[in-house]
Amino acid sequence: MIKLDYEHRQAGHCESGVTSNLLHYHGYEISEPMAFGIGAGLFFSYLPFLKMQHAPTTSFRVWPGMVFERATKMLGVKTVVLRFRKPEDSMKKLNEILDQKIPVGLQVGTYNLTFFPPEYRMHYNMHNMVVYGYDDKIYFVSDTLMDRLVTITYDDLLRVRYAKGVFAPMGRMYYPTYVPKDIDLKPAIISGIRKTANNMTGVPFPLIGTKGIRFLSRRMRKWERKLGPEKAAYYLGQVLRMLEEVGTAGAGFRFIYGAFLEEAGGILKQEWLREMAIEMGETANKWREFSYYGSRNCKKRGKADQSYDFLADMLLDCADREEKIFRKLAKIK
Amino acid sequence: MNQTREEKNPDETGQEGQLYHYNKEMFYSFDKKSGFSKRITYQNPETQILIKQGWDEVAERLSMTRLLVTSGKRSPIAWYMEKHLMEIPMLAEYMEISSWRVRWHLTPFGFKRMKRSLRERYASVFGISAETLEHPDFTNTITETHDKTGL
Repeated sequence: MIKLDYEHRQAGHCESGVTSNLLHYHGYEISEPMAFGIGAGLFFSYLPFLKMQHAPTTSFRVWPGMVFERATKMLGVKTVVLRFRKPEDSMKKLNEILDQKIPVGLQVGTYNLTFFPPEYRMHYNMHNMVVYGYDDKIYFVSDTLMDRLVTITYDDLLRVRYAKGVFAPMGRMYYPTYVPKDIDLKPAIISGIRKTANNMTGVPFPLIGTKGIRFLSRRMRKWERKLGPEKAAYYLGQVLRMLEEVGTAGAGFRFIYGAFLEEAGGILKQEWLREMAIEMGETANKWREFSYYGSRNCKKRGKADQSYDFLADMLLDCADREEKIFRKLAKIK
Repeated sequence: MNQTREEKNPDETGQEGQLYHYNKEMFYSFDKKSGFSKRITYQNPETQILIKQGWDEVAERLSMTRLLVTSGKRSPIAWYMEKHLMEIPMLAEYMEISSWRVRWHLTPFGFKRMKRSLRERYASVFGISAETLEHPDFTNTITETHDKTGL
């Protein structure tokens, strides 16, 4: 049996929490918001041509794996990231690394994640967790979503590591191999902020960033007329589920990002960042408001409490606020 | 270095009107006076309604699919595909065949002409026997989907 002395800490966002906790194991302290911010995790995309659960895919974060890879790279942490064609090889390698007393981060699908809250077990492949030991065919898991340590069997772990669908994990596993003793956070913070600012305002593609939020707003106005009230309510529900459901810590990561800016302001001794943090916090509260009014529409299922125009206007407000924030953040030095 | 404040959760037993209380999660919040804070608590009631809406939609699609299968318009694969929250491209990936072949097998005609080995492979993907695939039991409980499957 291998059972490492790994501290389980809950987090709002799985990948940022895993990054923070893995580095903590290796002796380096970094908060979840800091990992998220340096990893440039905040994003927005609306992909009407890519359906998940029969509705367009909306995402408020970057692709899975990028937060860990970017954050560790910017911190000078050496890591190994692996994918395997053969599932059995992935489990063999997992055991091999655990035998070396290294806890391992895994990307998994949540549908067959037996310990996961049943209401969240849909086909969602962007989840991350840490395995910190095993005893024959039982694996010890620290899942930052969970309020307790959990276990999973070999067979079930294989299933979730090789879940199919959008962003299929393909056995992806990752772990740090070297963490420097002294890390200068300042360049990492600046680079992370610039990257997010560019992602949100600098990419000339209409479906991502603040352009994407506005695109969604335009589409939303037409949903009831084009799709009918029931399907419109379902589409809206899907946007709101991505905004508020498992692993965003609320308001599509905007709260976590605000917390990062607040922390960054202190480290860089740039007071204006704390003001940006306040603006981001207020924007997050606007997203929350959107979610509140939107959920009332979904509850009514077909009889909208607030018009889709009203909700679309709220989205435009969020887009305008984020545009303003990220254009200022892009100038960080 | 500023660290986000941790709030003590005053409600240990759960919020009123709570649909789900399997697990407490971490949430961040912001207040202009007190700044950013985080706390571990159950998902808020509005979001729980959204989660339920998603599952209600699943149950409705499952009912409609059952009608299509029992009326002979779709093969039993359609029922199990819906029960496992899958769409054609995903099922095709699990089966390691093309989407158009899955579409063909969703028709009663295509299902009847399927090779035994393919039938068994579908059954394995759904975690059932080939016999059960041919004669679905139409158990309508979504939670049964979360039992061990061949996925």
